[in-house]
Amino acid sequence: MTPEQIITEALDNYESLLISYAREITGELESAKDAVQETFLRLSRQNLTALRPRMRPWLFVVCRNCALDHVRKIVKFSADPVEDHERASDDPAPDERAMVSEEGRRIWDLVASLPLQQREIVKLKFEAGLSYKEMAETLKTSVSTIGVQLHEAMQTLRARWNFETTEAA
Amino acid sequence: MNQDPRITAYAVGELQGRERRKFEAELRKSNLLESETGETSELVNLLSSAPKPANKLSQADRAQLFAELSEVNRNRRVRTRLRWIGLAAAACLLFFAWPAYQFVSTDWLSPQMAGAGPWADSSYSSVRENHAPRAQATASAPAALAVPRDPSGLMARASEAVQPLRSLAAMPAPVPPDNASYMRRPVVEARRAVPTAPFLEPNVDMVGEATAAPASEFNTEAYASVRENEFVTAKDNPLSTFSIDVDTASYSNVRRFLDGETQPPAGAIRTEELINYFRYDYRQPMGDDPFSVNLEVSRAPWNPERELVRIGLKGRELPAEDRGPANLVFLVDVSGSMEQAAKLPLLQRSLSALVENLSDEDRVAIVTYAGSSGMVLGPTAGTEKREILDAIANLRAGGSTHGSEGIRLAYETAREHFRKDGNNRVILCTDGDFNVGVTNESELQKLIEKERESGVFLSVLGFGTGNLNDSTMELLANKGNGNYAYIDSFSEGRKVLVEQMNSTIFTIAKDVKIQVEFNPARVAGYRLIGYENRLLAKEDFNDDQKDAGEIGAGHTVTALYEIIPAGQPVPGSPSVDPLKYQRPEQDASATSDELLTVKLRYKAPDGDKSKLIEIPLKADEIPAFDAASEDFRFASAVAAFGMKLRGSPDAGKISWSEIQDIARGALGKDPGSYRAEFLTLIEKAKRLEATRPPLPPPLPIRF
Repeated sequence: MTPEQIITEALDNYESLLISYAREITGELESAKDAVQETFLRLSRQNLTALRPRMRPWLFVVCRNCALDHVRKIVKFSADPVEDHERASDDPAPDERAMVSEEGRRIWDLVASLPLQQREIVKLKFEAGLSYKEMAETLKTSVSTIGVQLHEAMQTLRARWNFETTEAA
Repeated sequence: MNQDPRITAYAVGELQGRERRKFEAELRKSNLLESETGETSELVNLLSSAPKPANKLSQADRAQLFAELSEVNRNRRVRTRLRWIGLAAAACLLFFAWPAYQFVSTDWLSPQMAGAGPWADSSYSSVRENHAPRAQATASAPAALAVPRDPSGLMARASEAVQPLRSLAAMPAPVPPDNASYMRRPVVEARRAVPTAPFLEPNVDMVGEATAAPASEFNTEAYASVRENEFVTAKDNPLSTFSIDVDTASYSNVRRFLDGETQPPAGAIRTEELINYFRYDYRQPMGDDPFSVNLEVSRAPWNPERELVRIGLKGRELPAEDRGPANLVFLVDVSGSMEQAAKLPLLQRSLSALVENLSDEDRVAIVTYAGSSGMVLGPTAGTEKREILDAIANLRAGGSTHGSEGIRLAYETAREHFRKDGNNRVILCTDGDFNVGVTNESELQKLIEKERESGVFLSVLGFGTGNLNDSTMELLANKGNGNYAYIDSFSEGRKVLVEQMNSTIFTIAKDVKIQVEFNPARVAGYRLIGYENRLLAKEDFNDDQKDAGEIGAGHTVTALYEIIPAGQPVPGSPSVDPLKYQRPEQDASATSDELLTVKLRYKAPDGDKSKLIEIPLKADEIPAFDAASEDFRFASAVAAFGMKLRGSPDAGKISWSEIQDIARGALGKDPGSYRAEFLTLIEKAKRLEATRPPLPPPLPIRF
């Protein structure tokens, strides 16, 4: 495959997933797109043929770094950046959420209330379909930590889901 | 709250090998652990079933990227070129490499199907017809097809490449918008008009590019095109004959489209299946009849000048202990595409739920095909639940070996353990891969028909998206005297395999046909709503050789006729000059108060001779719609929903809100909240219509 083909393939497969993931970190769509654009620019400078088998974890690692860079830049300029960032990401993004079924929307609303790290893991697992191993690589931690944190997130979701469901009934 | 991370690891499929087996053993011992794992799995299912995000980089971003890339390449090769030459090279590269890439890497059938949009419906059936000629064209003249599709667009992108990064200068891209639905329709129509013309390829590819969907999401779902029944005059066509249809797949499939904010293709909307998705509270049959017949007439809510007649059948409820033993063979597709969460894992969970409800007399076998093929589980009694569950848990998708004898093996197994008094059935579970060992579709149909004679029926369970071959699945289930259900969630799987296990699996009458004779003194014209692919010739009614639909224990089947009362004109019926040699007869029944007579024929599940039931519908006055029964009003709402969703002119001016109001006022007891869920579906259809852009006039066809 030529480099162009590899890049196109990577774009086709991961572009949307990466934007969605980066947005979890930056909290807003435009900067998420910037981060993904930067990710692919960096990708184009790599030895693509050698990288290709490890494409997925590589993209998520670099995308995360780029997104975090953006957040750091915001921190420099914003008076109360953390709160800003939290608020932004709690705001359900209309274009994404509208795509989901009623139940699916509810569960992803609950996901938005999780701590950032757990939100990232949930997204990486269920949207991007990464394995525990790939997630560990992306988040620079161990497989067992991923297992524990994802489980924690799932149990929180389950408790809130059940609570909401019984309350609704 | 259980802190054992294995619960989640198990639910997402991270637990493998010995650890997995150990955990499963613990699961069986602890009800608490099992229920926690079950709930976690349901969440996993819910989270994974959400449609993937669709945000994309702008065209300008992409162009920037490729410019950068080609520059990097160029620098690697020749480091001393001037920058502007590099940009020119970028333009050239984009110009040639992009289309060439698309040529080698995309499925020829797929580009125009990527992301089903409003345009997709009409293309579905024609695409299948086109397969062969297009394949030939690609084989014989690849060079011609590699011609750039949209030179101007590519040039535009290449020229954008010299612009600074989007973060520095947000500039409007002079390329087609991402959502180029307006571009799609004309191409589709062009393809229909000249279905085998390969020189239309450039146009088609342009569509593929405009939609720019990831390769993995290319959609090869296939739907037969269905033309709605039109009004016919009662005088010329006094008889209307059709086979019953108890399938419900269309409803869950339509629900999947609407959940994804997509207009379902018209061929996927089978109104009778939408209506029959719901249970109606018809009375139990009396005497020896296997089902009761419930007629009702009122006004059509979408056109008060017209009448609506409902024919409702209800199969006799069969207590679990009264039914014969089941001899079930699951024929499971384990091709690589079944790996997704909404496919094999969902099937495994649904099957496990079914196993819990097996009685000791029942037998289950599992045969796989398409991936690794063969007998995974020999016929096993319901007493050995654990063994069955283990076999289900061990099903794995992957590989692409041909499952040579999958379906024959399944039938053989079912015949070997045939239970004379029981239900013998092969249940095909697939996402649309029919590589079951018999490659020729008509040969496959013949095989299924032949096996039907031996008393082994076939049901089909459809899973997943992207590859669903809706029409073939329905056809195969019909040929096999079975039903076809589409399973999009665990709750749907449970509904089909557990709640409706009796009716899905236990046939109480087969070859059920309905023939309605209309009284021209009362009826000017009529139209059967739905059942388009179930129509029979009037002679077929008394022909016991003619196959028709089955009804299961407790099943309800509903059919609606829209009637134009005598004296009103029938749309679409051209006037014919009076006959010269035949005198119009004065009908004796002209004074009759009967609107119509319903005749039914059916056979016992193991019988060859049909029985006849005849019921006239008397109606002096047609009651107002509001006075009709709850079930009648609800079924009318579903019919109106289906008609409106298909864009049928017969839906009149009824609005989504009016349909919603009718349904809301007719929810009844609604066990399982299926009717309540329907309200949300109407809401989605309403919103979808509000956001759908109007279609601009077709583009001219380029040759």
